[in-house]
Amino acid sequence: MMTMSNAYIDDFPAEAKVIRAAFYSSFFALALGGVFGVIQTLHRTGYYRFIDSADYYTVLTAHGVFLVISFTIFFLVGIFTWAVTTSLDRGVEDLRFTWGWYGLMAIGITLSGVAILAGFTDATDISASVLFTFYAPLQGHPMFYLGLVLFVVGTWLAGVDWFRSWWAWKGENPDERIPLPTFMVLTTMLMWYIATLGVAAAILLFLLPWSLGWIETVNPLLTRTLFWFFGHPVVYFWLMPAYMMWYVLLPKVSGGKLFSDPLARVVFVLFLILSVPTGIHHQYLDPGIAEGFKFIAMTNTMFLLLPSLLTAFTVVASMEHGARQRGGTGYFGWLKALPWRDPVFTGMALAGLMFAAAGFSGMVNAGMNINYLVHNTFWVVGHFHLTVGTAVALTFMAVTYWFLPQVTGKALWSRSVALGQVVLWFVGMTFMSNAMHRAGLLGVPRRTAEPQYDGFEFEAAVGSIGELQAQIALGGILLTLSLVLFFANVIGTGLNGRSDDLPANEYAGTLSGPEDAPLVLDNLKLWTAIAIVLVIFAYTFPLLSIVDRGGLFGPELNPFPVSIESVTLLAFAVEHLAVGALESLSLPGLLEVIR
Amino acid sequence: MNIHTYEKVWLIAALVLIVGFIATVTYGSVGLGIAMIDDSEETVEPGELGEDERFADPRVEQVGENEYEAYVVAQTFMFSPDPIEVPAGSEVTFYVTSRDVIHSFSVAGTNINTMVIPGEVATMTVEFDEPGEYGVVCNEYCGSGHHNMEGQLHVVEEDEFDMTELSVEADDEVETGDEATIDVAVENRMLEELETTVTLEIDGETFGEDVTVAGGETETTTFTVDTADLGEGDHDWTVTVDDYEDSGTLTVVDELEEEDDDDE
Amino acid sequence: MSRLTEEPAQRQEIDHDEYDPIGTLALIGLYFLILAFLWVFMYFVEFLGNEPTVVGGFVTVVGVL
Ligand code: HEM
Ligand SMILES: [Cu+2]
Ligand SMILES: [Cu+2]
Repeated sequence: MMTMSNAYIDDFPAEAKVIRAAFYSSFFALALGGVFGVIQTLHRTGYYRFIDSADYYTVLTAHGVFLVISFTIFFLVGIFTWAVTTSLDRGVEDLRFTWGWYGLMAIGITLSGVAILAGFTDATDISASVLFTFYAPLQGHPMFYLGLVLFVVGTWLAGVDWFRSWWAWKGENPDERIPLPTFMVLTTMLMWYIATLGVAAAILLFLLPWSLGWIETVNPLLTRTLFWFFGHPVVYFWLMPAYMMWYVLLPKVSGGKLFSDPLARVVFVLFLILSVPTGIHHQYLDPGIAEGFKFIAMTNTMFLLLPSLLTAFTVVASMEHGARQRGGTGYFGWLKALPWRDPVFTGMALAGLMFAAAGFSGMVNAGMNINYLVHNTFWVVGHFHLTVGTAVALTFMAVTYWFLPQVTGKALWSRSVALGQVVLWFVGMTFMSNAMHRAGLLGVPRRTAEPQYDGFEFEAAVGSIGELQAQIALGGILLTLSLVLFFANVIGTGLNGRSDDLPANEYAGTLSGPEDAPLVLDNLKLWTAIAIVLVIFAYTFPLLSIVDRGGLFGPELNPFPVSIESVTLLAFAVEHLAVGALESLSLPGLLEVIR
Repeated sequence: MNIHTYEKVWLIAALVLIVGFIATVTYGSVGLGIAMIDDSEETVEPGELGEDERFADPRVEQVGENEYEAYVVAQTFMFSPDPIEVPAGSEVTFYVTSRDVIHSFSVAGTNINTMVIPGEVATMTVEFDEPGEYGVVCNEYCGSGHHNMEGQLHVVEEDEFDMTELSVEADDEVETGDEATIDVAVENRMLEELETTVTLEIDGETFGEDVTVAGGETETTTFTVDTADLGEGDHDWTVTVDDYEDSGTLTVVDELEEEDDDDE
Repeated sequence: MSRLTEEPAQRQEIDHDEYDPIGTLALIGLYFLILAFLWVFMYFVEFLGNEPTVVGGFVTVVGVL
């Protein structure tokens, strides 16, 4: 039978289904996260408070976890699956395995999510209002940690899935360069494997056993350092898929070609080797870590600006190429020749523009001593709503308008609503983020339900606190409206019938292609080895020193909030499960050997 | 690999930016002496701060002519001491630790900002040139009452600053004709000598005595009051030393309780 | 052609050797100037002007080196 279109779903119907599931999980998290976002915006600014301030932190935990764990990661496993299957032009090796990791991620995040949301009711003693950083001795319910572990293991298996595809493909195409999208997926996943070792250690060795009552205490500085070992590179885990979209999709929708495939590879290699040995820049103001280690982390961090700055050039040059092919001229006049009416293009372009603005606050955050000015103030929140909250989130929403038809086989419900949506996000974020940055400079703290104090007031040299609050609230409302438009489009598209008039599943060609890239760039083993060596350099001494000072399990401290009854039950269940799993997996084999 | 000339230009410009950033921060550290919170302090047991020499009694101490140390404890959901009071024109080193979870100690509108981690002691040396009143906030989530965690830092005019502590011990009830004693202990926690006057006011009459208290010492002044002059009834008294004041009531009675009678 | 992502009206094909991204260079040069200016402003005005600042004893400063 002949199909009219060459959309992704036509070539890979089974994979399209997995990607759809991942996208819908992602959008569900985005919807929840958005609701919590506007609640906390209105609460903090004092415009509308209908929850108890003590519950604010449950809202904030949900906002953080649902948006930066579920929304971003579910979306990116979707586009990574697309990238690998499309660029290798082969389906996944084993569909059951693919559904397996998706299922594990879904179960994991459900456990964590339920643990968080249970904090709203007194009906259970379960809660995990520990924010997405879960710093000990704040303690969440074991289900929260367990869920995170399963979720992360799910992503590990997803990576295995993509590596399997690549190995199989390499067997058949021994002399070919790794196609760029696959190259990007593989380097990102290698980075992710190294990065998640930190959080896995923190949870499995310390926090989970501690929350189950198996160990008495933990060393707060140690678990915190392990968290940031993971916490910085995780931002690149969100960002690299967005970069991938800017490299492989944006040039195409601009009407041009990717300016340089080799440089794109260099950029992803730099991310692989530099993302992890920088986490201590989140701990510039932590006691117990020597200044020298902080300085090293800063140097690495500053050099990590390089791949982003290079990306800026390559991506803009690719857009310009499109504009010139479309007849654009002049130093700046070419900008007018870009397809500004296309939401996919405009969303990504605005996301990139906001990311450029984020470069400004990012360089300040990266600086070691200037961190005294901004650490944990609202400035930081302003910063990451530009990065993950826009560069990533808006890119993901914009490319959804391209992907949704590809994986559903249905035409987009409304292009103009889509265009309005991305522009509205840009405007809303401009208000919200700008005011957050300014408020932070006055010392307004982040993560605070009522940043209005009895004993003093924040003083603004220009404008007033009231004006900043108003801008934040306005921005938050515009962002929420933008989300409403986004979901209208997702649902509207879902209700459309199948269309056989969809664009083909293609990504951008290159001006300077892989043949110009030195072979060594594709040597993933080499880059992984270098990455590991750098991590060992950056972290061995700080970790040894922390353990030496505070002990592996730290001082005597009470967990906070103190342990809960259902913990014992769960401890039992986990033990049972673990033993069961061991028995079914390794024991038969082991017994065989013994016999 | 062929890289376009413009992209090479940008690569170099980007490196210049990066090196420029690092150079600026290094200049701040080395040239201006801005220090980071570090690992210079030994760890402490958060559960045993009550026995810790520095943190059992959170306070400000003078350690040199214009040098002070502030021992600050953060806990859910307060800072102590509160307010923290230091003189202008001084150099203050803050030692901050936590009794329970992770907090921060952040002086709003300044660059005084540190994480406070249980088991660790954060130190920050700061010069206060001008008097002023600052709010202190905790900017790390520490539990359901986090938003109520605040304190005050008062930098007072140098000549209005002292670390004098006044404690008065006075008779409550005396028999007419007996003498009532009021012991006034003036503690001077500064290093320099304190010259001041202790005044007692009782029933509108004022007595004064000049005292000199050496640095770190306590001097006790005793006032004796002849109750015959006061007469029976309640007499309010007030002791004043500089800005400090203590007051109470002395009751002069005809005869004291029976038990006392039995003794005689 | 599709309604969804209308293929942009391409007028000419420009290949690698005939393409100089001069507009990109102009934009990114502007970005460079903005970043450099804002950095100086943030460090020397906002940060150093936000006194008091944490200073170390001389010892700590030497410790860095
Ligand atoms: C409707 C759109 C959004 C609104 C109104 C909003 C609002 C806010 C506000 C006001 C805070 C600060 C709370 C505080 O520190 O007290 C916050 C925190 C945060 N937001 Fe959003 N946000 C939105 C979208 C997003 C998106 C799309 C992301 C990421 C993909 C995101 C990620 C975060 C994270 C990670 C935090 C920090 C949580 C923490 O401190 O533990 N937000 N948001
Ligand atoms: Cu970071
Ligand atoms: Cu707090």
